[in-house]
Amino acid sequence: MKVTRILVVVFSFAFLASCSTDENENVSKGSYDDGVFILNEGNSSGGSVSFLGDDMTIFKQDVYGAENAGDFIGKYVQNIFFDGDKAYIIAGGSNVINVVNRYSFKLLAKIDSGLASPRYGVVKNGKAYVTNANNYGGAQGNTDDYVAIIDLATNKVESKIDLNATADRIVLDGDKLYIIEPYNNDKVLVVNTSTKALESSVTVGASANSMEITNGTLYVLASPFSGSSKIVKVKLSDKSVSEVVLPATLKGAKNLDIYGSKVFFTKGSSVFAMDITASQASETALFTYTSTSQYGVMYGFAVENDKIFIADGGDFASNSKAYVYSLTGNLQKELTVGVGPNGFYFNK
Amino acid sequence: MTHFKVFFLFCFFASQVILGQNDSITRLREVIVSDVKLRKFSSTQTIISLNDSILSKNTGLLTNSLNYNTVLYFKEYGRGMLSTVAFRGTTSSQTAVIWNGININSQMNGSTDFNTLTSNDYNSVQVKGGGGSVIYGSGAIGGTLHLGTNLSFTNVISNEIRYDFGSFNTQNLLYKGIFSNDKWSTQFGFSRNSSANNYKFQDSYDWRGNQRFNENGDYEVNTLNATVGYKFNEKQYLKLYSQSSNTDRNISLLSSSESRTKYKNDFSRNLLEYQASFNKWTTYLRTAYITEGYQYFEDNTKPDYSFGNTNTWIVKADVNHQFNSKLLINALLEYNLTKGEGSGFGNHEREISSFAVLAKYEATKNWQNEFGIRKEITNNYQSPVLFSLGSSWHGISWYQIKANVSHNFRIPTYNDLYWESGGNPNLKPESAYQGELANIFKYHNVSLTQTVYFNKIKDLLRWVPGNNGVWAPQNTDRVKAYGIEVLLNWNKNIGQSHWQLNSTYAYTISQNEETQKQLFFVPFHKATTSLAYSYKKWNVNYQVLYNGFVYTQADNNPAAVIPAYTVSNTSVDYDLPILNNIKIGAQVVNIWGHKYVSLEQRIMPGRNFNMYIIFKF
Repeated sequence: MKVTRILVVVFSFAFLASCSTDENENVSKGSYDDGVFILNEGNSSGGSVSFLGDDMTIFKQDVYGAENAGDFIGKYVQNIFFDGDKAYIIAGGSNVINVVNRYSFKLLAKIDSGLASPRYGVVKNGKAYVTNANNYGGAQGNTDDYVAIIDLATNKVESKIDLNATADRIVLDGDKLYIIEPYNNDKVLVVNTSTKALESSVTVGASANSMEITNGTLYVLASPFSGSSKIVKVKLSDKSVSEVVLPATLKGAKNLDIYGSKVFFTKGSSVFAMDITASQASETALFTYTSTSQYGVMYGFAVENDKIFIADGGDFASNSKAYVYSLTGNLQKELTVGVGPNGFYFNK
Repeated sequence: MTHFKVFFLFCFFASQVILGQNDSITRLREVIVSDVKLRKFSSTQTIISLNDSILSKNTGLLTNSLNYNTVLYFKEYGRGMLSTVAFRGTTSSQTAVIWNGININSQMNGSTDFNTLTSNDYNSVQVKGGGGSVIYGSGAIGGTLHLGTNLSFTNVISNEIRYDFGSFNTQNLLYKGIFSNDKWSTQFGFSRNSSANNYKFQDSYDWRGNQRFNENGDYEVNTLNATVGYKFNEKQYLKLYSQSSNTDRNISLLSSSESRTKYKNDFSRNLLEYQASFNKWTTYLRTAYITEGYQYFEDNTKPDYSFGNTNTWIVKADVNHQFNSKLLINALLEYNLTKGEGSGFGNHEREISSFAVLAKYEATKNWQNEFGIRKEITNNYQSPVLFSLGSSWHGISWYQIKANVSHNFRIPTYNDLYWESGGNPNLKPESAYQGELANIFKYHNVSLTQTVYFNKIKDLLRWVPGNNGVWAPQNTDRVKAYGIEVLLNWNKNIGQSHWQLNSTYAYTISQNEETQKQLFFVPFHKATTSLAYSYKKWNVNYQVLYNGFVYTQADNNPAAVIPAYTVSNTSVDYDLPILNNIKIGAQVVNIWGHKYVSLEQRIMPGRNFNMYIIFKF
């Protein structure tokens, strides 16, 4: 049974590989061109990466393990960012970033010093900017987070920007970095990459869990323990702030993702969308998925290619599920991925 | 398939040795034990005793001795690191560790780390399979491990110093002194185990092509023991047992880039016991003070740490009445006060009172029956009525049968109840009903014990991520665990040659009732065998451990397993003829140099060596 399954996989890959070399030599850059990587956080014994092709048929459950046999990806994989033909996989629990070819997923190098619980990264002009949560406890636990600046030519951390606050998600616009952290920080931190210095931050309120920039405006979704969730719009040119307070029933909203003219977000196991210019959100869900998980609902979420991608955390001790829906909420694909899937990264 | 092969080989081997015959009489010295219940009220369950000669074969930390000589499965996070147990398919907090009759499982996490204990600190190590909550309280579900100091009131002055030196700069130093007469019995000792533990990961290279080593794995375990007994007369004794230990370990890395962390543990255990027997009454009054503490350093170069400490006071009154030659009744009253303080769970106090009645009825000389019932009173959780019922029949000289049913439990720990944030004050205790049947065959110098058991556990506590990513415990799962255990012992003397064989085998099914999947980190198969041969002043020993594969995921994903492994050790020692009291020896661990992992990515050492010298004076 197991052997036959492996053989099927081997043959189908052999077949696909031969197809691509025969017919698409100039188009395909590797096995994992045109598709989405699904990051599986895993646990203290390591995470994994799954891949789904844009054709929605090619699927590989453990890409990293298959392409880099014997190598350890690291504990608690958190984020992938891309630069050129490389993908950078952050394993926060191992203080490491695995550098792979984004099309073959073969390991090229590891950035394995100068990081302390790295979380998320962005790239600008050959430099990666990666948030590091550093120590969680201790006297400095909430003030020692930093941005590591990595020279991607040498794969070395060349300097650090101390933030004197907690840091998690990071986005880039122009030469500015915008950083949020939901548990101990109620501000958007602003870092200038050319001066490598903090600029004045923007207060958005506690529990800012996700954000995105479009047309010069930063959209931050904050869901404080008390009070309603809200979408805070920060106009980046003058840091002026406006808010859309979500209906009380949408308390605990997360996973903001802007796609086209819509702001998508989730609450519980439901997906919501509102017009980007709307001053109020509808309480009616776009659709609701059925989760087998009591505790890992909507652990990963993305809207891309006219599809909605949902990752379900499952029980965090078993291979779990990812789902692909149409924008109108029709289920198109159900996949068994790895342990604790937490994000989608589109490769094209 | 290999595990079946091993099993069949084992059966074949077992059937061969059963045919061997010889007489050997083991004389037990009359000793005073603190864990009286194990002797008086555990005759309907199976007990494995590890004597000095077995314990001395695996030096150092207790995980080793138990791993190579019992059916217990250990989840060891690298050599010398955190080591927790799965006994009869249960979780790490469902095996109770009993020190001189007192349950010493952590109040904080419910379990015991077997690499914080040193095997040679005790002169009695016994493993009892099956439930024991009626006598020993929380956590006695899969089984109990009994660590004891036995006192004897005879004229003895003896000193023993043992020093081991081995690979990876591993050093063990042990001293034990016994000074006793007909009034006083004292034992003092200390042990120190340490290792740089920087062993090479066989055939394992990092992405740059450099050889990998076990990094940040150094450990040190120090223990001080003192026991003093005073005999007023044949009927009254006063005894004080005291132990303190501290463990300082770095936590070994899966890859060099990881943060270097450190974990320190401190324990102190003190027990004062007064024993008096008058006519048909025997009374034990005990008071104990147990402390436990840990410090976890997120970065071992910095002074910052998180911590937890608990102090427990125990007062016990234990009254036995021998109604007649057949019936013994025992009433137990216990009061337990624990104060805990930790960076993770704040400051909390908990009081538990309990009342138990035990009865033993010897219908005939060969037919013993035991009954016990216990109820706890506490504000912290709803306490069920616990019971146990057992019978043992030994009507034929070569055959004995034992049956036992019991209701056992495990109470929520400090972490479960109070962890910030996530702790859930509304948890119920885990509850387990179990039954077992053992057949014991003894024929001359061969004994074969075969036990089948069934254990149904509900309200299993499990930490799961809740809203906002905060993990919280829930009484979610139901588990049924069942299996077979086989123990085989054989010994034979031919002239000055002495042979001894001890084998164990366990087949374990432990299923989540909802999913019908095997619990992760519970092997279907585990087997051990040790063969010792001595001739005059020479002793040779060979031991084999087989651990079947375990799943590492709850969905029993066949790609996520720790493969089965077999490890063999051998040792030789010699009593030096020039000085009659010196023994020197050498041990080769993992003699065939197998590469194996104890847990995912946790590569264990290849072939390594240990030399030792023992002075007795």
